[in-house]
Amino acid sequence: MLYKIIHTTVYTYHEPVSLCQNIARLVPRSSDKQVCKKSVVTIQPQPDVSAEYEDFFGNKLLYFAIQQVHKQLTVTAVSEIEKIANPVSIHTGDASWEDIKQSFAIETHELDIRQYIPETTMTASSPEISAYALQSYTVGRTVYEATLDLMQRIYKDFAFKPGFTTVATPLSVVMKERKGVCQDFAHLAIACIRAMGLPARYVSGYLETLAPPGKEKLTGVDASHAWFSVYIPGMGWVDFDPTNNQIPDGQHITVGWGRDYADIAPLKGIIINSGPHKLIVSVDVRRVE
Amino acid sequence: MTLETPPASLLEHYTSNPLFYDELLGADGQLRPNWQTFFESFGQLGQEEMNNRSQDMLRLLKENGVTYNIYGDPAGLNRPWKLDIIPFVINKEEWQKIESGLIQRATLLDLVLKDIYGEQKLIKNGLLPMELIYNHAGFLRQCCGIHQPGKHSLISYAADIARSADGKIWIVNDRTQAPSGSGYALENRMAMARVLPELFNGLKVRRLSTYYNALRNALASMAPDKKQNPRIVILTPGAGNETYFEHSYLASFLGFTLVQGNDLMVKDNYVWLKTLSGLEKVDVILRRIDDIYCDPLELKEDSQLGVPGLLQAIRSGNVSIANPLGSSILENPGLMPFLKTIARHLLGEDLLMPTIASWWCGQTKELNYVLENIQSLVIKKIYKDFTRSTSVDGAALGSAQIRELREQIKAHPYLYVGQEKINFSSTPSLVNGKIEPRNALFRSFLVSNNESYTVMTGGLTRTTAGLGNFVISNQLGGISKDTWIISPEPGRVLNVRKELERNYSNTHNGSLPSHTAENLFWVGRYTERVLGNARFQRTVMQFVSDGNRLSLENDMPSEKNLLMALTQFTATYPGFISDDDTLFENPWKELKIILFDEERAGSLSYNLVLFKRAVYAVRDHWSTDTWRVLRGLEDEWAIAEKAAKTGHHRMISALDHLITSMVAFVGLNRESFSREQGWIMLDTGRKTEQSLLLTSMLLSTLVIRNDEQTDYDLQEAVLISNESLVNYRYKYREHIQLPLVLDLMLLDPNNPRSLIYQLDRLKAYLANLPKQQNNQEQPEHERLVMAAYALLKRADKNILAHLNTGSDQYEHLYTFLTGMQDLLSAIPMAVSKTYFQHAQTQKQLFTAEINIL
Repeated sequence: MLYKIIHTTVYTYHEPVSLCQNIARLVPRSSDKQVCKKSVVTIQPQPDVSAEYEDFFGNKLLYFAIQQVHKQLTVTAVSEIEKIANPVSIHTGDASWEDIKQSFAIETHELDIRQYIPETTMTASSPEISAYALQSYTVGRTVYEATLDLMQRIYKDFAFKPGFTTVATPLSVVMKERKGVCQDFAHLAIACIRAMGLPARYVSGYLETLAPPGKEKLTGVDASHAWFSVYIPGMGWVDFDPTNNQIPDGQHITVGWGRDYADIAPLKGIIINSGPHKLIVSVDVRRVE
Repeated sequence: MTLETPPASLLEHYTSNPLFYDELLGADGQLRPNWQTFFESFGQLGQEEMNNRSQDMLRLLKENGVTYNIYGDPAGLNRPWKLDIIPFVINKEEWQKIESGLIQRATLLDLVLKDIYGEQKLIKNGLLPMELIYNHAGFLRQCCGIHQPGKHSLISYAADIARSADGKIWIVNDRTQAPSGSGYALENRMAMARVLPELFNGLKVRRLSTYYNALRNALASMAPDKKQNPRIVILTPGAGNETYFEHSYLASFLGFTLVQGNDLMVKDNYVWLKTLSGLEKVDVILRRIDDIYCDPLELKEDSQLGVPGLLQAIRSGNVSIANPLGSSILENPGLMPFLKTIARHLLGEDLLMPTIASWWCGQTKELNYVLENIQSLVIKKIYKDFTRSTSVDGAALGSAQIRELREQIKAHPYLYVGQEKINFSSTPSLVNGKIEPRNALFRSFLVSNNESYTVMTGGLTRTTAGLGNFVISNQLGGISKDTWIISPEPGRVLNVRKELERNYSNTHNGSLPSHTAENLFWVGRYTERVLGNARFQRTVMQFVSDGNRLSLENDMPSEKNLLMALTQFTATYPGFISDDDTLFENPWKELKIILFDEERAGSLSYNLVLFKRAVYAVRDHWSTDTWRVLRGLEDEWAIAEKAAKTGHHRMISALDHLITSMVAFVGLNRESFSREQGWIMLDTGRKTEQSLLLTSMLLSTLVIRNDEQTDYDLQEAVLISNESLVNYRYKYREHIQLPLVLDLMLLDPNNPRSLIYQLDRLKAYLANLPKQQNNQEQPEHERLVMAAYALLKRADKNILAHLNTGSDQYEHLYTFLTGMQDLLSAIPMAVSKTYFQHAQTQKQLFTAEINIL
């Protein structure tokens, strides 16, 4: 399946800005589940400086600076992604999650996997989170079974409520109020898994939404999405989407991953100005064939 | 203990304590040879002279403005630096061991740093646990793969060293991101050399200058593209930082520009310094800011101390920074147990200097050891945590606290290290006029010389406040010592400065960083504000205290008018602009408030605080004599406030002294300040403020017509407050009258206090400020001063003093003065907009929430 994604971000400033520097992580990376065939980021006004490189986690990163007076900044990323039909085949063996955890402790695995075990500020553990996780990670279960159960429980126990949380809302509030958005659920699941001593990473991307039957899909109604991934020896990194209670197959398009949201924020910047600004984001995910 | 040598009497209060290694006395109770040598010279001073010299030294440090700031303590800002006249003494043989141990340590840490931000072979080969590095807040993933010119990544390094009871010397702490103290070490040496010159010459104390030369060379050689004569800046968090004195001292000593984050900007992937003359390229940054604060774009997002885009400029190779961002990863007590193996692996050597026995809790065996022995260990976190103390002495904890700490460690074992406790050695210290033992910690400084490392032959020793109290921190009130390495190498110390000046050339003089320019402008303004207010207050207080208030009824309207004018002029509202008659019956309470109450906006003390803050922020601009005046002023004012209780005349004489000191400050600047951009800013500030104050004083005293006696008193007060009464009498030989007062105060070009005199100067200064490129128009500030000048030129003293029939207000005068005030008060804003570019604020751009079902 070939998808075309148009991700547009428009900042409108209240007062003119003479210098603006940004870091964008908008170009999807290729993996065993997808091939990024093409990705072009267009910036208005034209940046005076730009540089592309890969970050510590291998994500594609674009630095750009606009050094002329402007009142509006538009960043448009247009990407074509070929999804590889590669359904998750379950061959977890019968090793318990405790055994797997032990195997990480004796450093038999790659750095690239073990670096996703320690918690971060956004995925900090607490006694509540450990207790919540232990209900899924019961004695002797495989990592796959336990994580599947965790995903289902988060889906069931937590209400999807846009606008209740922000990027800065700590997990303790999410736990207490039992509501949030996809990034909260991803962070929560990651915190649970890391509290069990297992590696989990935060995945940022898009999800194709389908129009109601018989209706034509509107443009720009999609949005950025986030889910998590767990490393299971024998299976590799397996994605789970707790917001939709599913193991992503064809409709999830990955942009990149990191330890948490902070590692893979799509766009962040600093302007020299103290006035307010307005932000409009639109995402359009379409099947090309 | 008895001593037969000359210093015996000096040392009668010194006793050994078996808990500590004694630096002074050997096991036989006799002075160790290096101290024997020291006291043979020092002891000749005798008790009294020793104390006199100590007093001289402390006074010298205070007068030179050597300070240390204590966080969170309002009285702790600009606290005088404490220095013990008795140095810490190290002999030649011991020093050689320390020196080679430190060089090995720096060499090793440099290799570790390069590996962590490069191939990470140490982690991949199992020599360093991933958790110890990846969980450290100082491991900056953004900095991986960045290379700077030169052999070493670790440019400067400092180590805290102590001696345990068995006489062994240990490395206690590593300082690798922005080591502080080398400036204080230098200042300590300068002060000691000044008060004990004969000792240095006799004892052959090693000098410090090689270190500072090496530091300058190391920074210069880091410049991108091997640029000759690079521009090097010291990046400071600002005047509130604990060691700001040192930043400023090193900047002026080494000839670098002292800047704050918002003095710099990144453009075209280069770093630029915003100066009065425009942007100037920066090649090398010596930072005194913790690494995560350096770039809000990629590191700590809400930091206002850094430069957005700095990391990108470094990555592009267009600027170099020392120490490199991310080097705080080495400030990690968890590294200590691994260094022994790493040294064998990387250098093929054993560690020459041991590190304190440490157990990193990320390993099961070590974790269990720490949990079981928690009470006999010091527990540290692997990185600095600003929310709580990062080092805990297990022995000092109660059982509940121990339980809590155990739980914390078990929850995140890889964040904790248990360390053996060592008792620091005791060394002779002068305490309250007597020589007593105190525990000592010695900080040594190293800098890369591109082959190996150069060690400062000396350093900064700090001692505990009491014996056996092991928390040594300047934040908690320790005392510093100069450190003497006594060696046959000929070492005259007095020429340190000269020696450095010889190979010192600075081509970057003249252009002033925008921040500095603004601070100088404000020093100028506050100088005049303090002076203007003090003079007017003195005039009013003199009037109030002279008038025999009970018998001379007709003095009351004058007095009331003057008091109200004072409130208006100083903007200390509500003050005397109120209906409360009791205020006028006894005005002294309010007069005292507007003199001494820092909390009352507009009071003299309030303005003095602002004045001092601006002065300290540009502290490297003042001469030694100027510092002496400033310190004297501070002391006298503090005493005056206490003395004010005993009589009103004391308040007036306090003002006399303050005015004399402020005039001395102005005069010394005029004598010593180089006539470059800095001077222009300072004097522009003064002239702007003088013009504004004069206009405002005339507005608050002369625009209303009163009875003849009152008008006379008010006009006389204006002349007195502006030091112009003598001029008036000399010039006009007339009774005081309004047209002539206005003529003298506004229009007389020969009266240095007149408005036209100030505007003449201001016009010249503003025209001399650097022009902005690509702008043919007349700048706003020049337009404003020309308009003010034209308005003044058109004024006629008789028209201004003309009173319309039936009116009690001089309409023409009022219109003239308010028009003038509008023009003048717009000038600072125009100057700020054009020249103080750092004042622009930065802001994060946020992306929206992710929200999809």
